[in-house]
Amino acid sequence: MIRIIPVILILTFLITREITPQISVQTADEQQISKIISERGGKFLLLNFWATWCAPCREEFPDLQKLHESYLEKGLEVIGLSVDYPDETESKIKPFLKKAGSTFPVFVQDVNNDEKLINMIDPEWNGAVPLTVIYDANGNKLEIIEGKKSYSEFEKILSKHLPLAE
Amino acid sequence: MRKLMSFVLTAFFALGLSNLSQASDLKTGRQNDDPKKVENFSLPDINGKTHSLSEYSGSKAIVLMFISTECPVSNAYNDRMVQLTKDYKDKGITFIGINSNKAESVADIKQHAADHKFDFTILKDDKNIIADKLDASVTPEVYVLNGSLDLLYHGRIDDSRRVNEVKTNDLRSALDEILGGKKVTNPKTKAFGCTIKRVD
Repeated sequence: MIRIIPVILILTFLITREITPQISVQTADEQQISKIISERGGKFLLLNFWATWCAPCREEFPDLQKLHESYLEKGLEVIGLSVDYPDETESKIKPFLKKAGSTFPVFVQDVNNDEKLINMIDPEWNGAVPLTVIYDANGNKLEIIEGKKSYSEFEKILSKHLPLAE
Repeated sequence: MRKLMSFVLTAFFALGLSNLSQASDLKTGRQNDDPKKVENFSLPDINGKTHSLSEYSGSKAIVLMFISTECPVSNAYNDRMVQLTKDYKDKGITFIGINSNKAESVADIKQHAADHKFDFTILKDDKNIIADKLDASVTPEVYVLNGSLDLLYHGRIDDSRRVNEVKTNDLRSALDEILGGKKVTNPKTKAFGCTIKRVD
């Protein structure tokens, strides 16, 4: 019986690993952020700026996950860009993503200058998060959405731009 | 004649395209430029006493700080705000905190101010009327005015949420320039912060 225990433990580990996908959070500097926006591979982009310290951002995550699940095949990619510090990836970002059960790609900014990143995304943005920007398949900015939005509010906005939306 | 026609057509299309690009400019819904002057306003403080900006016309500068009891970014600045007040109040600068968050009650703000030993007046901006007037959107966010209520500086306190990683003390630099009778070199700055939770 004792001999079976390690086997069971190894099997449990392997099965759990299979079920729970590894959470990957890559850092993104200015160049990488530009690349995320411009290299679209034929897909529209919903880029959500958020932070683990931002309550409305955290509340918005289930709706972003739902959008990711229902819109990826309709030609929209959902990407989260955390404005936390890169060294908070293991301590704050990954634990939150795990708890939220989100599976869409998430990056953490590595621009190291709030103002530079804010102005790069939109010169009129004051830095309040969450902020969501929608880009077309050529990386052209279509919508700037300030504050927390619900799934249906996002759908309404997307329906103006995505032919397959709704 | 053909050259003239081609010039006219090129100019026409160039103009059309430029208009198209202007028309497609996206807006965040906020004013692009800060107001040059702030209108006088009155608000009650957390003890119920009403204050008007015009009361501080004798100040060398009035620092309006939009703050929050719950926002971790605003809270990261609690000690820095206390220190700023300590360093500048005897130099003729008035510090005023404004709480415009709908979910933060006067009782919460009072407790928070006591916990963090805030030595400045805190006004409760019920229904975020003043936040709307100034187009303030995050906490912490500061506006520096002179006694005539001209806007001299708008933006962040400094450039890092982490006190040990601060590279530019933007508010301090602005205040030092004002005290020195100079024009503020960098009158507008930005940083990430929590959205001010407004009434619906």
